[in-house]
Amino acid sequence: MEGSLLEPTLYVIKGMVILDNDGHRVLAKYYDKNIFPTAKEQKAFEKNLFNKTHRSNAEIIMLDGLTCVYYSNVDLFFYVMGSSHENELILMTALNCLYDSVSNILRKNVEKRTLFENLDIVMLAMDEICDGGIIMEADFKAVLQRVALRTDDIPLGEQTVAQVLQSAKEQLKWSLLK
Amino acid sequence: MAFKRDKKEEEDGGGNPFENIEKTSVLQEARAFNDTSVNPRKCTHILTKVLYLLNQGEQLGTTEATEVFFAMTKLFQSKDVVLRRMVYLGIRELSSIAEDVIIVTSSLTKDMTGNEALYRAAAIRALCSITDVTMLQAIERYMKQAIVDKNPAVSSAALVSSLHLARSAGELVKRWVNEAQEAFSSDNVMVQYHALGLMYHIRKTDRLAVIKLVTKLTKQSLKSPFAVCLLIRIACRLLEDEDGAPGADSTLLSFIESCLRHKTELVIYEAAHAMVNLRRTTAKELAPAVSVLQLFCSTSKPPLRFAAVRTLNQVAMSHPSAVTACNLDLENLITDSNRSIATLAITTLLKTGAESSVDR
Repeated sequence: MEGSLLEPTLYVIKGMVILDNDGHRVLAKYYDKNIFPTAKEQKAFEKNLFNKTHRSNAEIIMLDGLTCVYYSNVDLFFYVMGSSHENELILMTALNCLYDSVSNILRKNVEKRTLFENLDIVMLAMDEICDGGIIMEADFKAVLQRVALRTDDIPLGEQTVAQVLQSAKEQLKWSLLK
Repeated sequence: MAFKRDKKEEEDGGGNPFENIEKTSVLQEARAFNDTSVNPRKCTHILTKVLYLLNQGEQLGTTEATEVFFAMTKLFQSKDVVLRRMVYLGIRELSSIAEDVIIVTSSLTKDMTGNEALYRAAAIRALCSITDVTMLQAIERYMKQAIVDKNPAVSSAALVSSLHLARSAGELVKRWVNEAQEAFSSDNVMVQYHALGLMYHIRKTDRLAVIKLVTKLTKQSLKSPFAVCLLIRIACRLLEDEDGAPGADSTLLSFIESCLRHKTELVIYEAAHAMVNLRRTTAKELAPAVSVLQLFCSTSKPPLRFAAVRTLNQVAMSHPSAVTACNLDLENLITDSNRSIATLAITTLLKTGAESSVDR
């Protein structure tokens, strides 16, 4: 059992990936330069990962020495990777946070098309969840707060009519959802 | 072929609007950043495209990256929140490729000390990604302030950035230990976790200091489950080192054992995993850890079942008799829908099972 004690470090996440239903990368982040240093290796890994996971919703798999927890919805697949010794529940917490954040940003329409419409905010959310392999935030409500689209803060005069309408619509939608 | 593809996309209802963008055209579009009046919506969209390309693994040359970077700095004049945040992200993504990135130092320092909390946290992270050791001294004062900031996002950002910086500027970051300590008493669970991480990192070469830290913290109950996990790992590290200070051992061990009764599964599993993997654990001490793992075997969450059976598999290698009690639960896992769990269950049973159970 030598060497399976866990390293006391904050660097626990090796990667976070969102793939579409063809296994193509939507967004991907790798935090450890020692694993998959080039985009080519990363994509080969993602392809392998997708092939092994897209048909079953088993939620966890060991692949290439990494523990990957995953979750899928409609045409999107969410993955969080850690070392094979990592506490699986920590990875799961990060995955849940990622999924819940994205799901809320997309107003519960978790599908590829809406994700691309909100790609900027999703990028910001991923960045708020993990910084260089360290879990920054595990509570999706805090993440949402930090990526908050606050179009209403811009003085009315500087907004276009469409923007004003949009923000009004969104506010109405959110007040209904609450 | 091209026609076919178009058709498929139509069927998809648009598919990926970013699919066919090209590097050269996006770089061309990025020149719009230089316009005198910034259109936030348009610029955010272009910047998103740039970041998307980078994320897809597209390589930018130094000149290209530098050009985009400098154009991007013009966007600081816009007050749009999303755009500003995307600029911070862009700075971090391009900081390793573009040249003369320190040009944005003053803009970022201004944002990190400003009133807008959403900017402050992100500005700190961006600033620390472009700063080198020599410049770090200039912002040291702000970093110390940010670490103890009341806003958890700001405090966490500063703590985590300090940890990243510690790789290149270890000596300087060491001076921030008092601030980290202050941040540790924060009510926010993530701040507490990040502060402990930084405190441990600063002290880890000083064994006595670590012992002191851990002994003190094991007596108080930490709010953050992540921080407790980290503390368990530090305690294990101390226990594994042979020349442990006398007396400290039993407190550490009983601390880890007490975590088996923690209210979150995350910590319970961490403690069980630690107990099982400590070289010094005796078969008798294993029993409580094994019984929580046994409970986890029948949860509805696949990752938890996986974690439990994987750890039991490890125990079975050195103490097969300790796992025999779980045989029934393991047999149920043989038909688990997750193949990894099933496989692990079978290999564990091979070590613990007796002839009598083979038939079943």
